Amino acid sequence: MSSPVPEGFLLPQDIDAKDLAGLIGGDSHCVIDRTTGFSIRYHDSFDWRLHQAGLRLQQVVTPQGGLLRLTSAEDAETVASESFDAVPAWAGDLPPGDLCDQVAKRLAMRVLLPLATVEGVATELRVLNDEGKTVVRLNYLAMQCRSPAVRQARSLWPRLRLTRVRGYEDVFADLARRFESEMEWPEAPACLFDEVITAVGREPGDYSSKLDVPLRPDEPAVDATRKVLRTLLDTLERNIPGTRADLDSEFLHDLRVATRRTRSALSQVKRVLPDAVVEEFKARFAWLGKITGPVRDLDVFLLELPHYRASLPVAMAGDLDALEARLRTAHKTEQAKLKRKLGSKEMRELLSRWHAVLDAEHPPGEPGWFADLPIEHVASKRIWRMYKRVLKAGRAVTLDGPPEEMHELRKECKKLRYLIEFFRGLYPERELKKLIRALKVLLDDLGEFQDLEVQADKLRAFARAFDADDPATLPTVMAIGALVADLLRRQQAAHERFAACFAAFDSAENRHRYKRLFKAKAQQAV
Amino acid sequence: MKILGIYNIKGGVGKTATAVNIGHLASNTGLRTLIWDLDPQAAATFYLRVKPKVKASVKLLRGKRELDDVVKGSDYRDLDLLPSDFSYRNMDLLLGENKKPALQLLRLLRPLSQYYDLVILDCPPNISLVSENIFRAADALLLPTIPTTLSLRTLEQLLDFMEGHGLATPVYAFYSMVDRRKRLHRDVMAGPGDPRCRVLSTVIPYATEVERMGLERRPVTDYAPRSNAGRAYQTLWEELRTEVGGLNPIPRFDLPF
Repeated sequence: MSSPVPEGFLLPQDIDAKDLAGLIGGDSHCVIDRTTGFSIRYHDSFDWRLHQAGLRLQQVVTPQGGLLRLTSAEDAETVASESFDAVPAWAGDLPPGDLCDQVAKRLAMRVLLPLATVEGVATELRVLNDEGKTVVRLNYLAMQCRSPAVRQARSLWPRLRLTRVRGYEDVFADLARRFESEMEWPEAPACLFDEVITAVGREPGDYSSKLDVPLRPDEPAVDATRKVLRTLLDTLERNIPGTRADLDSEFLHDLRVATRRTRSALSQVKRVLPDAVVEEFKARFAWLGKITGPVRDLDVFLLELPHYRASLPVAMAGDLDALEARLRTAHKTEQAKLKRKLGSKEMRELLSRWHAVLDAEHPPGEPGWFADLPIEHVASKRIWRMYKRVLKAGRAVTLDGPPEEMHELRKECKKLRYLIEFFRGLYPERELKKLIRALKVLLDDLGEFQDLEVQADKLRAFARAFDADDPATLPTVMAIGALVADLLRRQQAAHERFAACFAAFDSAENRHRYKRLFKAKAQQAV
Repeated sequence: MKILGIYNIKGGVGKTATAVNIGHLASNTGLRTLIWDLDPQAAATFYLRVKPKVKASVKLLRGKRELDDVVKGSDYRDLDLLPSDFSYRNMDLLLGENKKPALQLLRLLRPLSQYYDLVILDCPPNISLVSENIFRAADALLLPTIPTTLSLRTLEQLLDFMEGHGLATPVYAFYSMVDRRKRLHRDVMAGPGDPRCRVLSTVIPYATEVERMGLERRPVTDYAPRSNAGRAYQTLWEELRTEVGGLNPIPRFDLPF
């Protein structure tokens, strides 16, 4: 026999454990032992970080307790496991060990959310030989599943699992072959995951913050642009519940990125959408950017706090406790405001009016001049122009110039990056990847330069808010002082690295790549 | 992996019943357990409903076959059996073919540590090269002893032998097949005992439930766990676990996914 002997089968819905025992040969050859209730809960982050890493996290709960198991998506083998009864949420709450490390490495700041729960009953059966000796073990599993969104349980295919008894492998193989060829039962996949996820109407990886819109080069610019904006609106909307519930900081982050990208598309993809639409929604999305700012700022500080503590001498790390307490109080206040504003009339109006623009057959109002031009031409032109602006501004930056030069360059670079990402579906993926990588190195440096300055400024403001005459708060103020010094030193280093980062971006090879990809298409007569 | 030898020079003292019941109880706590039936009479093999082999184990002892190939699963999860073999009656000769024959058994057992947490050796009665192998391989010896004068003499013989061969394996004796109506039993149990071995406090009574193992072909701890004998084996296992150490229950998640 060449193919491996199957160990699990999917059974018809109308076969139960008793029928199964009868099929195998009746009471003398197959006994039904005990039945055990169990549940399996699958978990991942909102953006499927474990799935993206080829992993599945499941918690099997039996009368003996709960077991968390991290398995490989490819072969269902256990990577790490740990007894755990509570509902897992933050990687930091898991018992220290390999499982915790593996999960924490993938999740970073994201929280685990329940994907789906399987509830089932396992019936153990044993096949006996003439001596009344157990020669094969069987497990019949009847199961149903639900998810936070699917409350009504959905039934899964009953499964049969065969387990070898050492020394009786031939009986095992005969029985499995009989199920396979006589009964024609299909082999069950080693893991339930795919069936369960499909049953609750999900698809692994069905959310990603990465923008990837399929486009045709000859598509009218207005249609392509609306497709991009529609995708951004979807991302934005999907992050609202998690942001309002403050599940983790990435919901708000992704919501803000979608907002910024939308604003960038509105202002950078020029003369495609009707002017009135552009004006109205530039204002509306500016509002959304503004109301989401304060919580994000506080999130950044709270995420940075462990690094801040680590950067201080051990003796001073505890001096930041008072700062942390203030940050948390402020976060609570701001989060409550944000929650209210995201449920406000303005927000509802923004969403419904934006849907009306994007979902209608044609956007309302006078079409933009370039609305009907092929998107490849419009996109290439915009990208080429923006690239030239970045080059010019970057070449003008000097080490002794004002910080505003760097900030301005960062804004242009971001616009360039967003434009490339909106229309990445039009260009060869491999070329684009190299180009985005060089841009990202530059943007990271510019971002660090600006973020460190902003953090230092805000920390100074926090320090001022502490009572300077109170001896209890003095150590906190001094610790903040040490942090500010460290941040500004790092900002200086980012400034010094800039020349090298920009030189890589401005390399001959990279210039050729931009030219090849965008210039010719931008200058094509249409 | 712990190796436990169940031994007595004398036959008919309840060795096999101890091996099978202790093995069953150990596997119930999640310890992956193997009983090696080294007795050519094959009683443990019979109790666990496996057919004895005729010659397979000869190859095994000559190193021409892996132990793993010969193992049979029992009716219980985590309890496996290495069946007896009729050729075991010549085991001394087989072991004698090797260099350092007194360590051959241990050499065979070592690779099993990746599959098992506990190996129970059900040993044939008498003192021979086989028993010396068992004494050297085991982490502890468990001696079922009937409280009679004759039994105590065989216990002494064993302890003398071990002392003479410089063997320091801990020896745990316990009284087995005890009939408290017999004055002799009571007197012997009240006696001082040999200081070279530890006498466990658990007493296994003489009971028809144990004799029924031959009809049931199952451990007493399975078909009559609440009987006197069933409870006594449970207590024996717990006492042994405390004394020997390293045999803590392993949480078992045996759902097949």
